[in-house]
Amino acid sequence: MRSTCIWEGLKLSSNQCINWQGNLACLKDEGLVIKSRHVVEGKHVFGPDSDYTTLAISGLALLSEECDVKQIKIDSNIDEFPLQACGYLIDTSADWNISCDSESACISISKSEDLTWQVDGEEFDPELYIKIQDAWAMELNAVSQGAFVSEQSYRSGAPSRMNFISQQLGDIRIWPPREMIGDQRPHEAAPLTQAGTIESWTTLSAGGAPSEFSLRAPLLGGICTVYVRMDDGPCGVFLVADDETNVPVIDNRVNFAVRRIYAQDGLIRYGLKALFS
Amino acid sequence: MIIIPPTGGSLLNLVDRELVEPCSSGGVMVDVAVIGAGQTKFGNHALGLKGMWSESAENAFASVDGDFDPSMVDEAFIGSIAFGGGQIGNTAALLTEHTGMDNIPVRRVENACASSGFAFRDAWMAIKSGQADIVVAGGIEKMNDLTPERKRYWLGVSGDTEWERLAGLTFPGTYALMARRHFHEYGSIHDDLVNISVKNHMHGLDNEYAHLRKDVSFDKAQNGFMVADPLTLYDCCPTSDGASTVILAADHVAKSLCEDPVWVLGSGAGSDNLALHDRPSITQLVSTQRAAISAYDQAGITANDIDLAEVHDCFTIAELMATEDLGFAQRGEGGLFAREGRGRRNEGDVTINASGGLKSKGHPLGATGTGQVVEVFKQLRGEVESSRQVRDASIALTHNVGGSGATCAVHVFGRDLN
Repeated sequence: MRSTCIWEGLKLSSNQCINWQGNLACLKDEGLVIKSRHVVEGKHVFGPDSDYTTLAISGLALLSEECDVKQIKIDSNIDEFPLQACGYLIDTSADWNISCDSESACISISKSEDLTWQVDGEEFDPELYIKIQDAWAMELNAVSQGAFVSEQSYRSGAPSRMNFISQQLGDIRIWPPREMIGDQRPHEAAPLTQAGTIESWTTLSAGGAPSEFSLRAPLLGGICTVYVRMDDGPCGVFLVADDETNVPVIDNRVNFAVRRIYAQDGLIRYGLKALFS
Repeated sequence: MIIIPPTGGSLLNLVDRELVEPCSSGGVMVDVAVIGAGQTKFGNHALGLKGMWSESAENAFASVDGDFDPSMVDEAFIGSIAFGGGQIGNTAALLTEHTGMDNIPVRRVENACASSGFAFRDAWMAIKSGQADIVVAGGIEKMNDLTPERKRYWLGVSGDTEWERLAGLTFPGTYALMARRHFHEYGSIHDDLVNISVKNHMHGLDNEYAHLRKDVSFDKAQNGFMVADPLTLYDCCPTSDGASTVILAADHVAKSLCEDPVWVLGSGAGSDNLALHDRPSITQLVSTQRAAISAYDQAGITANDIDLAEVHDCFTIAELMATEDLGFAQRGEGGLFAREGRGRRNEGDVTINASGGLKSKGHPLGATGTGQVVEVFKQLRGEVESSRQVRDASIALTHNVGGSGATCAVHVFGRDLN
């Protein structure tokens, strides 16, 4: 069964392959395939902060530019909560199906059979890849010992953290959300445009990073954070996505994509990270 | 969300002076003096919380000109974040029971790194209000009895946990963002920060209470290990153990207990949005500006009247911004101020961080604010080592910042009451 809505009269044509949010995406008549750009020995593998869930959110973001995607069904490799936080309804009877390739960092989103696509990627240091995956596994079992973001806080803030849901007070757009009182109480507003300009940045050495990043920061040479003024007005601080090694530049533009942030107490936390435009 | 756009050109320009109300009690109630002050050496201590506090309190009691009986103390405020040491709840009761202050009202005060700056303010207010005659303000922090892994959990706990920590920020990162933006907006450079680091290490060299007593060359500070680009190891204060204790008294009591009190001429405090991204500018601290305006107005002085200032230099960029926010330098000229050496002891307009500051003296979080008062008390009384005495100092200031500037306490002290 072929899709009846996608790609018809669209700016992106079928079988067009693009770099999308740090991933590789291929648009087909029936849907799309999205893969990690990282490759080890010919096989697509996850980058330092990506997984099936981040690929799914990225693919859905691209698909949503072309047609209305609200309800989806997913397989068990995908964490449904971040998708819900991004506004998607998980429904086992939905037309759109997201399936994960168990052999590689690749997913298919379609209304029919699973889609495939062959594409080259960027070589990723195999030793680093294994170390990072091991670090994630250890991190997942870590228990917080001091200040930390509780699961409750993480979940309640997820729509803003993953989808830029904002607030409005008069002419002012507000993000991250605030819980003001009286006549300062804002109302919920549409998501911010996912673009902004770097106003400052730093790379924190492994030793200076929060404990949540203590296992991966040494492997990645520290962690890079940018202070961004969003096009809609508010400012925010964001980690830089993937293993980006380019140095940020003040006044340069950034976009955003959902990636893993850290894992703790058995829960992987996701959020928007900055991608250099 | 603050929507006031940053402007430039005046000494204290983000805060509207008209919006800062002087303390209503300023000048109309009793005057308050510091009659004693003491501390432990800041650094790595074998002593635990109780031992450090006892040493600090004993030094403070001994510094009072006459015999001082701690049972005379009416109330105590002790600042601490409870970083290490194992005692989080009811810390103040545990500590005061070891130092002869039995059964009095006590409490722990927590405002991040400004905890004891605010403890001091609370003590001052208790006397100003007429509720107490003799009050102890102090601070304590045990930071080096934790394993490295546990210590990491405490990094950055006083920032916005939900939105800054999840973006990988601890305070080196937060202040690094401020530094880079300051460089961009005003043309300050990293060498300006190096000058501050070298100066503070030079000032702390002869301070027997300082954590890092070492001469640091410009070249060495310039090429330090990168902690949070652009801040190197020499831009960052150490994590220290330590305690500090200050005794405040109402004027009618002070004169009977102490021949040579140091007067509190002004107390100001302010706060700001916790997270950097909620502030209109990340190159100035509104909390400092508010606190300074209030303290100066109470004291009836301007920044130009201050002879020495103990400034919160948790990172060198913090001192650079403070010189602007406190009015020692014009907006955007903190780098030039440092470059010209105008904060050096007995050389510039004002001696900044005669103790060595947090950079050299050390930063035991909760103990830092009252530790600054200890330095000022001794400097104004001419009691520090002669090699580091600020000459002819009559008016001094302490500036204690919580976290990245969410809270700030500024106090002005005088050799004379008027």
